[in-house]
Amino acid sequence: MAKAQRGMSRRGLLKGLSSGTLALGAAAAAVAPEPAEAYDPGPTEMRGRYRETDHVKAYYRVNGYETLKK
Amino acid sequence: MARMKFLCDADRCIECNACVTACKNEHEVPWGINRRRVVTINDGRPGERSISMACMHCTDAPCQAVCPVDCFYTTPDHVVLHSKDLCIGCGYCFYACPFGAPQYPRVGNFGSRGKMDKCTFCSGGPEPDGSEAEYVKYGANRLAEGKLPLCAEMCSTKSLLAGDGDIIAAIYKARVEKRGYGSGAWGWSTAYHETIEV
Repeated sequence: MAKAQRGMSRRGLLKGLSSGTLALGAAAAAVAPEPAEAYDPGPTEMRGRYRETDHVKAYYRVNGYETLKK
Repeated sequence: MARMKFLCDADRCIECNACVTACKNEHEVPWGINRRRVVTINDGRPGERSISMACMHCTDAPCQAVCPVDCFYTTPDHVVLHSKDLCIGCGYCFYACPFGAPQYPRVGNFGSRGKMDKCTFCSGGPEPDGSEAEYVKYGANRLAEGKLPLCAEMCSTKSLLAGDGDIIAAIYKARVEKRGYGSGAWGWSTAYHETIEV
């Protein structure tokens, strides 16, 4: 009788393990990350940003001081 | 449309590394990554030359060609940028780049975590100009502010040039013509059939 109970408890453990694995799988599926999606820059962010401002003109003037000054 | 370029005048670079420091400070570049670095050849010997290197924003960029998730794009200013939202940190671009420009944070193996990081020509990324998200991922967007890359703007010897390729090429060409020797003076080797020595 005791041997039979031991057998049953072993089966119970296996049953418990299998149900636990299923529960873990379900939990993993619940928190699975969504497919990565890139930020769409759109046409406004794809425009040229460079502008020849006074700041930029001053940079060109200073760097070409030995050659471009006339 | 202007084509953004870097040009380092090797005759003027004194290897002070101010460009490297300025870049790291301006963009708060993570530890272990250098978007710009100074390379010295013939160190300590006659003919020593230093050159400041970063992403050269290639017209036909190898990083763009090998990227498996196609996260690189070229802006109308001809600046090569990448989206860190798409990047998977595989490191292919690092191997493809002849200048070693795309860098990987030294926190794990390629692909395990992290995103590639590279010089943006101080023009941010795909996020809205000047936004917090843009600064955190890519750093400052100086081009949108009407400025040029800080590394070039604060070069004390005016060695590192950045901006419209046509204009900085004209500045460099005029410098070389005025010097009249060395460092690729136009026609020097053709005229004298000898290697350039300074």
